[in-house]
Amino acid sequence: MSDFPHAKIPGLIEDLQSGKMHRREFLRFATLLGLSAASAYAIAGGSDPLISEARADDMPKGGNIRIGMRCQEIKNPHASDFVERTNVIRQVCEYLTKTGQDNITRPYLLEKWEASADLKTWTLTLRKDVKWHDGRPLTADDVVWNLKRVSDPANGSSVLGLFTGYLVENYDTGEKDKDGKAKMSSRLWAENAIEKVDDHTVRLNAFAPQIGVPEHLFHYPMFILDPKENGVFGVGSNGTGAFELTEYTVGKSGKLTARKDYWGGGPYIDTLEFIDLGDNPSAAISAVASKQVDGLHEADAIQINAMKNFPNIAVYDAITAQTGVARMRQDQKPWDDKRVRKAMRLACDRAKTISASLLGRGVAAEDHHVAPIHPEYAKLPVMDRNVEEAKKLLAEAGFPDGFDTEIVTRPDPAWEINAVQALVEQFKEIGVRATIKALPGAQYWDVWDKVPFSYTGWGHRPLGVMVLALAYRTGAVWNESGYSNAEFDKLLTEAEGTLDVDKRRAIMEKIETIMQEDGPIVQPFWRTTSTVMDKRVKGFQQHPSQYIFANEMAITA
Amino acid sequence: MLRFLVSRIVLLVITLFAASIIVFTASEFTPGSVARKSLGPYATQEQVESLTKRLKADDPLPVRYVRWIGVLTGVLADPLQDPANGLGFSDPRGSRYFGNFGYSTLYKLPVNDVIWDRLGNTAILAGLAFAFIIPLSMIFGVLSGMREGSKLDRTLSTVSIVLTSIPEFASSVFLVTLFVILLPWLPGTSPLTESPQWSVRSQFILPVAVLVIYDFGYVARMIRISMVGVMEKAYIRTAILKGLNPRRVIMRHALRNAMIAPFTVLLLQVNFLVSGVVVTELVFAYPGFGRMLLEASLFGDITLIEAATMITVTVAVMTQLIGDIGYMLLNPQVRIS
Repeated sequence: MSDFPHAKIPGLIEDLQSGKMHRREFLRFATLLGLSAASAYAIAGGSDPLISEARADDMPKGGNIRIGMRCQEIKNPHASDFVERTNVIRQVCEYLTKTGQDNITRPYLLEKWEASADLKTWTLTLRKDVKWHDGRPLTADDVVWNLKRVSDPANGSSVLGLFTGYLVENYDTGEKDKDGKAKMSSRLWAENAIEKVDDHTVRLNAFAPQIGVPEHLFHYPMFILDPKENGVFGVGSNGTGAFELTEYTVGKSGKLTARKDYWGGGPYIDTLEFIDLGDNPSAAISAVASKQVDGLHEADAIQINAMKNFPNIAVYDAITAQTGVARMRQDQKPWDDKRVRKAMRLACDRAKTISASLLGRGVAAEDHHVAPIHPEYAKLPVMDRNVEEAKKLLAEAGFPDGFDTEIVTRPDPAWEINAVQALVEQFKEIGVRATIKALPGAQYWDVWDKVPFSYTGWGHRPLGVMVLALAYRTGAVWNESGYSNAEFDKLLTEAEGTLDVDKRRAIMEKIETIMQEDGPIVQPFWRTTSTVMDKRVKGFQQHPSQYIFANEMAITA
Repeated sequence: MLRFLVSRIVLLVITLFAASIIVFTASEFTPGSVARKSLGPYATQEQVESLTKRLKADDPLPVRYVRWIGVLTGVLADPLQDPANGLGFSDPRGSRYFGNFGYSTLYKLPVNDVIWDRLGNTAILAGLAFAFIIPLSMIFGVLSGMREGSKLDRTLSTVSIVLTSIPEFASSVFLVTLFVILLPWLPGTSPLTESPQWSVRSQFILPVAVLVIYDFGYVARMIRISMVGVMEKAYIRTAILKGLNPRRVIMRHALRNAMIAPFTVLLLQVNFLVSGVVVTELVFAYPGFGRMLLEASLFGDITLIEAATMITVTVAVMTQLIGDIGYMLLNPQVRIS
């Protein structure tokens, strides 16, 4: 045991060698328990692909890369809600850890992490060579300030949702809301929940086991900001990253200039520019065609089809756990009857939905929100379409003639509304007559967790238990379907603290089966995310979360 | 004249007041709270409720409207800029000053930092388009109207009608396909940022072309009709029968009178070019006022929509005023009663 950072790692190696554990699963869990990615890859047979990529000596130097992306407001990094915002901030401020394009999480500003045997105590050791742009070394005080800031509900960070359940607790404020219910708030569960050990060591003392801590430290708003700037970001802001933000105009463009004394790999280019091309998909195609940009932050299936034959363009794909779910609120009629919810799943024609909304760029999902790329995934059969069975279930639930309903969604991105249109046609065949109510983004987000029936896009998350805990655990902040199932909650807590592969897979199978039989969602597919870059751009890999790491990128003249 | 101007300014203020009430009330019926829009989609309900309370966003509509007027006139501080909100919203001009349109929940910037740049960009686009629309439509209109029913008239009229009938989105796609994809002569978008291959100037060509194609045919038709009417007047016939050079008759006698009716039409195009060029700005990713207004409307950014409405109404009333004065100067027979 003494050679490994966690007592469970030898067991994982045994599981890998005996074939009980898949290679990908081993890599994910061994690295989460503190084993370096290089060692994990070596044990699993292979070399760390990201290290070999980043150390390539033949990367061209200099030049400017221009990327088409919405330039949104970026003042409050800890409360960032869209990946576009963070793609700007990410070049200046960094994370403690980094989940790479291969879905493996590695230390980044950290030199290493160590988890206690019960997964409740996490010791984070900082690198000693990291310097802020102003020359000051990164210290444990900086990290503690950032971790405490995102844990304060007043700052509006979504990291709070991830920390809730092991570092952050909910408590009764003693006040009542207008309906007379107790008003709840959140706070760190103990004074020493986030603790400075020395100048380069921070300890997280949790009240419950949590395997996903390193992943949480890479959640997109979890930037390490300079405490002196009090959480406010802008042109000239201090950071530890490879670039400095030198120009930024919301809705127009942004420019980042490479730092000469960056502690990490790269940067190879001199400058990086983001150009706001608006929401019109054809504008992005025109900009790529006329070489006004060297690439796009994201391209949908229609754009890819239009651009894939441009001679200068390379298409990049990433298989992800990004998806969309037609979710039904369990506490509202008619969705309170599990037969109705299952009937909706039986109505879904996955192949047609993938074809209609993604032009084939996706894979069928199994209605339980755990993706094949998640290490804890247990394969269940895809629920085949069965209109007769669905009608029978509806009749048993008291709806022999079906019913009328309304599904709320957003017009943008196009794949979401296209998926809803395809599903609505399929629901019609079992007698569920749904009308579509498409609300603009901001208005949609005001009702997304309240309306009885809606379609929600869910971003990629590296662990299946992470998204299940966020979206389906009783009372979870983002439990948009109001789903509450005591057995599901119990099994999920067990899965979060279980490292034994057989035991965990058995638990996951039960969880996934509950979702298929009782769950609140129809989940037709997993989406493949794509983008395009000019062939002159080197070192780019499509990240499943669509994150851009410009210090890894280069461009030929 | 002074009385006329004063009455028009009073009318402007009343119109602005009425428009602001209508927009404010209309936005009441759109879903989405200011707190949610400020905090973003992933904020917890608790955070939203807390901010709603601090902003007093649950107050009745008239109270909120009066508060908005108070912020606009500098009597009240903008509640969104209160540091206690933890939103980091701050305006370098302060939270209380005359002309404070408030804070844009979409851009998370003071409205004054967003709107004037966008308006300036659109003014440049509109100005360039106008510089082509006026001479082109005058040439087409006058040449057509000089000899009604002639081959030249029929040809120019057909061209004008066909071009005006093509919607902006169709001509944009056609021009992009031709000049960006097939013949890579021009940049496909106009974000107004320099790139190694394309100057900012070159980025104006396609959007201006689309606007000119869409608009000039209509104005040319107006000028033609007016010109036909003038050419039938007795004084023109007399001038021609007197043996005056036809060019002199057109330039000295017909044109000025023929421009009286189209003058109003031309000024209406200013309103269109300021707020109605949404499609062109969207297709070419042009950072202008129209695109901003569309995005603000879709997002439900009430402060930005209100400010944009105030500006467009002001432009509309001002162009009307200029139209009245110009009408008077062009036709001395017109007297303001």
